[in-house]
Amino acid sequence: MNEHPVKISLRGLTKSFGKKHVLRNLDLDIFQGDSVAIIGPSGTGKSVLLKNIVGIQTPDSGSIKIDSEEVVGLTGNARDRVNRNLGMLFQGAALFDSLPLWENVSFGLMSAQGLSRSDARQKAIERLQQVGLDAGNADRFPADISAGAQKRVGLARAIATKPEILFFDEPTTGIDPVMGDVINKLIVKCVKELGATALTITHDMESARRIADKVAMMHAGKIVWVGDVDKIDDSGNEIVDQFIHGRLDSHISNARLGTSAA
Amino acid sequence: MSFVATIGRIFLSFLASLGRLTIFAGLSASHIVRPPYYPRLLLRQIIEIGYYSLPVIGLTAVFTGMVLALQSYTGFARFNAEGAVATVVVLSITRELAPVLTGLMVAGRIGAAMAAEIGTMRVTEQIDALSTLATNPYKYLIAPRLLAALIMLPCCVLIADIIGVFGGYLVAVHKLGFNPAIYLKNSWQFLELVDVVSGLVKAGVFGFLIALMGCYHGFHSKGGAQGVGSATTNAVVSASILILGCNYLITEAFFSR
Repeated sequence: MNEHPVKISLRGLTKSFGKKHVLRNLDLDIFQGDSVAIIGPSGTGKSVLLKNIVGIQTPDSGSIKIDSEEVVGLTGNARDRVNRNLGMLFQGAALFDSLPLWENVSFGLMSAQGLSRSDARQKAIERLQQVGLDAGNADRFPADISAGAQKRVGLARAIATKPEILFFDEPTTGIDPVMGDVINKLIVKCVKELGATALTITHDMESARRIADKVAMMHAGKIVWVGDVDKIDDSGNEIVDQFIHGRLDSHISNARLGTSAA
Repeated sequence: MSFVATIGRIFLSFLASLGRLTIFAGLSASHIVRPPYYPRLLLRQIIEIGYYSLPVIGLTAVFTGMVLALQSYTGFARFNAEGAVATVVVLSITRELAPVLTGLMVAGRIGAAMAAEIGTMRVTEQIDALSTLATNPYKYLIAPRLLAALIMLPCCVLIADIIGVFGGYLVAVHKLGFNPAIYLKNSWQFLELVDVVSGLVKAGVFGFLIALMGCYHGFHSKGGAQGVGSATTNAVVSASILILGCNYLITEAFFSR
């Protein structure tokens, strides 16, 4: 039993695209201060789940509560108020390529919090230094830096407003293992410094083990197992075992190939 | 039967697209008047749409005016009406050619750029990132572009009017041997306020349509580079067709007896 209050509560979440059912009655509780990794093979709807939570997509049915407030159906200023407490690192960093790095990092500070440009620039440089980029990078543009550096800037942007909840969408995808390790360590550091609740979507077990306290396994649109990260090797769940050991003859590969599992 | 069903499906699909476009336009227009405002972004778009379009608009207008003077002179000479050249040039430029050609040139330059930029932002999740940063994409991306195009197209057309008439003057005076003072007097004598105003009204409408098509197709692009390419093509083609269609309707509204 967790002593902290529930920060994010998902109940009966469903989402379909035409005839493809991506989320099927999904339930999950994320407690305040937890760092949870949702694992699962590519194409199982992990990113869709994340987009539903942050309001980029709307579920067909079900409930999403953040700090006990129902956020499904919130629009306009009400949704913006909720989103001011969130930070997100996108899979491809999603930096605004028409803006220099410092404006990318301080975007939320200027746009949503009304900070002046000079103060925002100072804050942005602090955040860039926090993720290992020196002040000399502030005026460069996203196209001028490497994919790994873009992830760092994306992380700096996500933590710039000191949000209570952080989301990481495949944080190590598309970068080399060494840079992946750097990003993982930075994520752990930033989450701890902020005392934030974190939700990471990944299919990289190494990343999940590094970042998360808890792991939730997603399969066929549902969460099929939740537990502490150090118990994942002894989960007793066949699907989890198959995923972390990458076995081809499994529920997972059958589901992805569209055949029924034995 | 299947032929009728196909026609029905196409018609329903057309209506659905029209509905989506109308909602998009209404939502975007409402964000132009509702705070917060982004004056820096508006200024950037004003410079992009107005200032950087001036060379292409100027060249289009000057050559159009020159050709118009030459063509109308050779035509009118057949029935000794060369004196009408100045009037024909000024009326054609202000009423039709400056707004329509400026609209088409800007549609090619700005409409395509808007669709490509916003489309790339869509497929690289930058628009999603805006939402997570508590910033409304309609307000931040669409509204400044619509407003800037609405303001700048009439300004561009006014400049095109002047350059176009000047192009006609150059050919008439220096090639066709017209007296400069008489040519200018003939240009002013039959020009009415409504000729210029109708052109500027057209320009405002065309500006809105160009930005709307660029933003709409970019905003709804999907599927990576190919999707962005399609969005760009669709933005230019649809804006051009709408410009030509609306040009007739506005002309009808202003000048039909």
